Amino acid sequence: MDVVLNAQGLTKTYGSGKDAVQVLGGISFAVTRGEFVSVVGPSGCGKTTLLFAIAGLHSVTSGTVTFNGKPVTAPPKGVAVVFQDYSRSLFPWKNNRDNVVFGMARLAGLSSAQKKDKAQEMLEAVGLTGFADKYPWQLSGGMQQRVAIARGLASQSELLLLDEPLAAVDAQTRADMQDLLLDLAIRFKQTCVLVTHDVEEAVYMADRVVVLTRRPTTVDHEIIIELGKKRDQISTREDPRFLSARHDVMTSIRNFRAAAPAHAA
Amino acid sequence: MNSFRVFDLLLRFRTLISFVLVVAVWQFVASLGLVPEKYFPGIPAIASGFWAMLKSGELFNAEWRTLTRALVGLAGASALGIGLAILSDISPTFRRGFAPVAALIQPIPPAALVPMAVFMLGLGPKLYTFIIILVTVWPPYFNGVAALASVSDVQIRSGQMLGLSRWEILWRIKLPAAMPEIFAGVRYASTISLLAVVVAEMLAGHDGLGFLLIRKAFAIRIPEVYTLMFVCALNGVVMNAMVNALRWQMTGWHIRMTGQPA
Repeated sequence: MDVVLNAQGLTKTYGSGKDAVQVLGGISFAVTRGEFVSVVGPSGCGKTTLLFAIAGLHSVTSGTVTFNGKPVTAPPKGVAVVFQDYSRSLFPWKNNRDNVVFGMARLAGLSSAQKKDKAQEMLEAVGLTGFADKYPWQLSGGMQQRVAIARGLASQSELLLLDEPLAAVDAQTRADMQDLLLDLAIRFKQTCVLVTHDVEEAVYMADRVVVLTRRPTTVDHEIIIELGKKRDQISTREDPRFLSARHDVMTSIRNFRAAAPAHAA
Repeated sequence: MNSFRVFDLLLRFRTLISFVLVVAVWQFVASLGLVPEKYFPGIPAIASGFWAMLKSGELFNAEWRTLTRALVGLAGASALGIGLAILSDISPTFRRGFAPVAALIQPIPPAALVPMAVFMLGLGPKLYTFIIILVTVWPPYFNGVAALASVSDVQIRSGQMLGLSRWEILWRIKLPAAMPEIFAGVRYASTISLLAVVVAEMLAGHDGLGFLLIRKAFAIRIPEVYTLMFVCALNGVVMNAMVNALRWQMTGWHIRMTGQPA
């Protein structure tokens, strides 16, 4: 199996002495090429800390992350992140086209005209034809997140890290965006890791769900979602395999929450 | 013509309208005769004083020098203020060390700086530059420090994910993001630089509006004194228009985004 991302025994402790808080308690999981993996866990389990560690944005206290076999110590070429907070991740002084062009900062050998063409293509891919000259703040929340996704794809990454990218959009937009992300992942051959607190979303999107414990967080178990690559907002969500996976994950998370001390809930 | 159009027109000519209003109120107060006309002349007397100084060329000469000094001073102070803000952003040690220095220098009135500047630098362009920069540098500096510190961490991480260096992140993300707030400081500084240059000219100059104003006051040429006061006020408008043009050029996105053209 072609392992793209491999996390081994990741721990992260903030602070020191008696103020030390261990957030990650030794997380290990691997992601193979073309896979869509969701990572879910109870609130406050350090999902974002984990994602930033994988992305090379934060260091870990111990453990290793490798991307395509190479240890990650800084953000590696070939990894893109779509952040939850789209309105603060895009650049309001650039129009949408230039925001997407910015995503190509690491692509050598493209002229600025080629980059602009490519940005146009990416905006079309996310359904924003005709919005290239508009600014992010002229768009709705869902559309802004589409620009952020286009920027992520434009970097020609292999691994797309999604940090609760749909947490801030309304329910209908969210369903559309889930399907868009699934389509794009296949079309642009992206390996995806989605970090979310939404169990339904985690199961709906993923080939495999990694369930985390509460702090100090470890991997509780993994479930393979055998629903194929083609998902449908209505029929997939009614499929007994979907329901049983959802039941499994929700039960685990509820148990962790029940066992958690009140201040961590 | 509906009320919206009227309001729009009023808004467009608001500077002119305020000017006309001030002139009207002035003339009204003068005609009440509360202060002897000699000391508080009406608009016609002030206008003839204006005309006399315009014909002799002394007004244009003084105006040109004062405005140039204020502009050069503002440009220098803004560049220095932004430079110091960048340095403070890069080095927390510098920022903390510089804070007491700033706190000590900032409250010194420009007039109090003049004697020291004369002893140190003599009577010349260096004197003006020194005084203007020392009193004008603070708004761009403090606004710059605050703005650079509050750039969204998500924007910075977006840059880090693309492998940008610290300098590229500063240049391509932090500075553009901070620019609107820096410009708010520069606009405020533009007024201060006008105040500083006129005060310096009054106390140590041999030309410029401040110098001319003092000379006319000592000669008891009262309408001319008032003329010069009006010219000082109009300089604020000129300076603001110039800074505003640059602000639209550099941060027009922010003005359109917030819908607040001022």
